[in-house]
Amino acid sequence: MINAIVRIGTTTINVTRTFRDTLSFAFTIILKMFNKNSYNSATRLVIIHQIYFTSIQILPLFIGISIIFGTLLMGIVFQIIKNLGLAEHLGRILMNLVVTELAPFVTVLLIALRSSSAINAEIAVMKVNKELNTLDKFNIGTVDYLFLPRVINGVISVVLLSAFFSILVLTSGLLFSKLLFGLSLESYSNVLLSSANFYDIVISLIKCCAFGFFITLIPIRFGLHATNDLTSIPISVLNGMVDVFIAIVFIEVLSLILIFI
Amino acid sequence: MPLISNLDVWVNIALIKQYHENLSADKAQELVIRYLTGYGMEHISNKRNPALTNRERFCAMLLRAAMVRDSIVVIDRPFTIIPDVQDDRFIYDSLKAVDDSFKECHIFDYLWSKDRYRMIGL
Repeated sequence: MINAIVRIGTTTINVTRTFRDTLSFAFTIILKMFNKNSYNSATRLVIIHQIYFTSIQILPLFIGISIIFGTLLMGIVFQIIKNLGLAEHLGRILMNLVVTELAPFVTVLLIALRSSSAINAEIAVMKVNKELNTLDKFNIGTVDYLFLPRVINGVISVVLLSAFFSILVLTSGLLFSKLLFGLSLESYSNVLLSSANFYDIVISLIKCCAFGFFITLIPIRFGLHATNDLTSIPISVLNGMVDVFIAIVFIEVLSLILIFI
Repeated sequence: MPLISNLDVWVNIALIKQYHENLSADKAQELVIRYLTGYGMEHISNKRNPALTNRERFCAMLLRAAMVRDSIVVIDRPFTIIPDVQDDRFIYDSLKAVDDSFKECHIFDYLWSKDRYRMIGL
C-alpha cells in the first residue's frame, strides 16, 4: 500500500517536473523567436531548408492522402447529413469538422510521424557525436541556429499544410454536394462562407500554431536527453514520440473545451 | 572538433562567417570554394563528413577553424586525424595555404611524435 503511494507520488513529481521543464524551454524559444538578434544568414538558411524538408517534400504524399481520405470522408459525411435531414446545417458541420478538427489533426499526425521523429533522432545523434559541443566552441548558439529554425518551421508547416488540407477536402466536397444536394459551385461556396465563424477560425489557427510548436519542441528536448551512448538515441526518440502524442491529445482536448464552452 | 554530420562541407565551413558576420550564403559559399580550390579539393564541397577521406576531413576542419576572425588554431594530435600521413609536410602545406586567415597556430602532440615534425620544427 505504502509502496503504491510512493510510486504514485514519484510519478506525479516526475510528470510535473517534465511539464515544468518543457514549459521553461518553450518560454526560452518564444523569447528568442521575438528577438531580432536571433536571426542571421545562417539561421535563415536553416529555416528555408527545414520548410522545404517538412512541407515541400511531403506534398505529393500529403495531396494524395488529402484527396483519397478527404473524398471518402466527405462522401460519408454528406450521405449521413442527407439521411438525417440536416441539410440546413451542412456548412456549419463541414467547417467544424474539416477546418477546425480534421485538418489540424491529420496534418499534425503526418508531420509528427515524419518530422518530429527525424528531429528527435537528429538532435540525439548530434549530442552523442559531440557536434553540439562543436557549435558551442565556435560560439554558435544552439538555440538560435538549431532549435529555433525547427520550431518556426513546425509552426509554419502545420498552419500552411492544415489550410491546404482544408481546401483540398472542401473542394472534394463540391462533388458530393452536386451529386447529393444538387448544389452548384456558387451555392456550395456561399454555404461554406456563411458558416465560417471568426472565433472558430482563430481557435483553429491557434491550435495549429500550438501543434506545430510542441511537435518540434518536445523532440528537441528529448534529443538533448541523449547521453554519450549510441543506445540512448532510440530511447530518446521513443520517449520523445510518446510525449509528442500526449501533447497532441492535450492540445486537442484543450481546443475542444475552448470551442464548446 | 567533429564536423556537423548532416551538413555539407561547404556549409560546415561557411557557417562561421554566416553566423558571426552575417555573410550571405552565396558569398560565404564563394569564399569557401575559393579556399577549397587552393587545396585542390573543390570536389568535396557538397560531400558530408562520412564521405571524406582523412586528408579531406583535416583540411575541412582546418578551414573551418581558420574562418573565425583573428583565430588561434589549435590542432590536437594531427596524426590521429590523418594516420596515413608519415610526416608533417601535408600539415605544413595545409597551414601555408590558409596562413592569411588565422593569427596563430599551436600543435599539440606526444613527445614520441617529435621526429615526424621536420618542416614545422619544434
